[in-house]
Amino acid sequence: MVSKRAAKLVAIGLIVAGTLLAESRKEFRFSVGPRAGVSVMNPYGSISVKPSLNNTVIVNAILHSDKVEVDNSQNGNRVDIQSHLLAGADADSGRVDYEVLVPADASITLHSSTGSLRAEKLHGDVNLEGAGAAVDVRDISNAHVHVKTMNGSVNLNNIQNGHVEVDSLSGDVTMKAVNGPLVQVVSTSGRINYIGDFGNSGEYRLTSHSGDIEATIPEWTSADVSARSVRGEVHDDIPLQPKNHTWFTVDKGRAFAGTMGKVAMSSTVVLRTFSGKIHLRKRSEKQ
Amino acid sequence: MNCVELQQSLAEVEDGSSTEQRAHLRGCPACSALVEELDLIIAAAGELQAADEPSPRVWNSIEIALRQEGLIRPSRAGRPFIPSFSARWGAARWLVPAAAMLLLAVGTYVRRESRPNEVARQISMPAASASDLEDSDLMQEVADNAPAMKTQYEDNLRRVNESIRESQGAVDESPNDEDARRSLMDAYQQKSMLFEMAMDRSQP
Repeated sequence: MVSKRAAKLVAIGLIVAGTLLAESRKEFRFSVGPRAGVSVMNPYGSISVKPSLNNTVIVNAILHSDKVEVDNSQNGNRVDIQSHLLAGADADSGRVDYEVLVPADASITLHSSTGSLRAEKLHGDVNLEGAGAAVDVRDISNAHVHVKTMNGSVNLNNIQNGHVEVDSLSGDVTMKAVNGPLVQVVSTSGRINYIGDFGNSGEYRLTSHSGDIEATIPEWTSADVSARSVRGEVHDDIPLQPKNHTWFTVDKGRAFAGTMGKVAMSSTVVLRTFSGKIHLRKRSEKQ
Repeated sequence: MNCVELQQSLAEVEDGSSTEQRAHLRGCPACSALVEELDLIIAAAGELQAADEPSPRVWNSIEIALRQEGLIRPSRAGRPFIPSFSARWGAARWLVPAAAMLLLAVGTYVRRESRPNEVARQISMPAASASDLEDSDLMQEVADNAPAMKTQYEDNLRRVNESIRESQGAVDESPNDEDARRSLMDAYQQKSMLFEMAMDRSQP
């Protein structure tokens, strides 16, 4: 009995040790000036970016095998990191997970096909692209946020005064407290969910070909809203002041248009889908 | 001057009007067709109105195309993730960004208010040709380099082609419907993005 248990423990120990041996960690540090540019290209694996305390870029990489290397270079105020797949590498053995600290004002560009992409607490531009990567961006201010995904989900949370552009083919896009001069989402079949107040005097364009679009806003929102589904249906829980003129025919059930709140602060909101549903909802006090 | 040299020289003299270019073009139908397509894009771009200012997404697409051509500094020092892409597509690979630009130019036509019936006819041809010309090659490339993602690409390609077909149908039905035309333009842009994504450096 004892020997069986001992054998099990040894086997588990060997597996764990093997995994640890295969993994390796690397750390890179770079001194940069204000508004540095940092780029991380990673075919397989996650990338997470957070602010550093000073003008230093710190890259922590976990390599899951010896079939992948990390190339790094600094050119002036720009740092480039790239996972370099060696012969025979696949999605498992070529995986690298990055945790990157950058000055909060740095502009970042992250690419990954399969891992998650995450950026938070920055005020430099954020450019993320990944085919199947899930994207999570939060607590970004006064910056451009550009996201491209094929089928990865996109979550944007607390983006203030942002210039936000999201392109997703089939991934769902969720935005909470996202505002700025331009917030634009284009999707083929992904669902778009906006929870917020549409800010002040911004332009919000949410478009999905066949995905549903839902916007949940407080009653005090100031916005000039136009919504239309060419083949689907629309629902509006909030009374809008009707507009005298729209660019489309307001077919009941297929479109609505109107204004709410203070005209001077009003944002332009365009919700458009070809065959999906559009729902403008009033936010309850709990939300 | 061979085909590769000619295509490289187009970065300097894009209309093929230099003496060396003309000499090559006289004997090369493929390059002649390429220069004709470029002329078409340039002509279409010339007709764009100031109000049709492209979105930053368009500039992103151009940046990616320029990086692939090596005309601006790539943001990485190492070798490309897709070594076989250049080998397989060779010099013709830059036709894809060119085709993407053509799609965008066509999309911009869709936005124009004038002559809606003609617009509907104009956009039918690229819809078919883009689909026939590129999809199988793209899927082969994905299958070779990222077989694990082949199904995802197939699924998304099918979705975006379906969206093009549906929007095209709506535009044919109602050429004056601004939303239908915008849907078609968006569908083309999404397809363009899918191609860029498959070709891009993040693709393993």
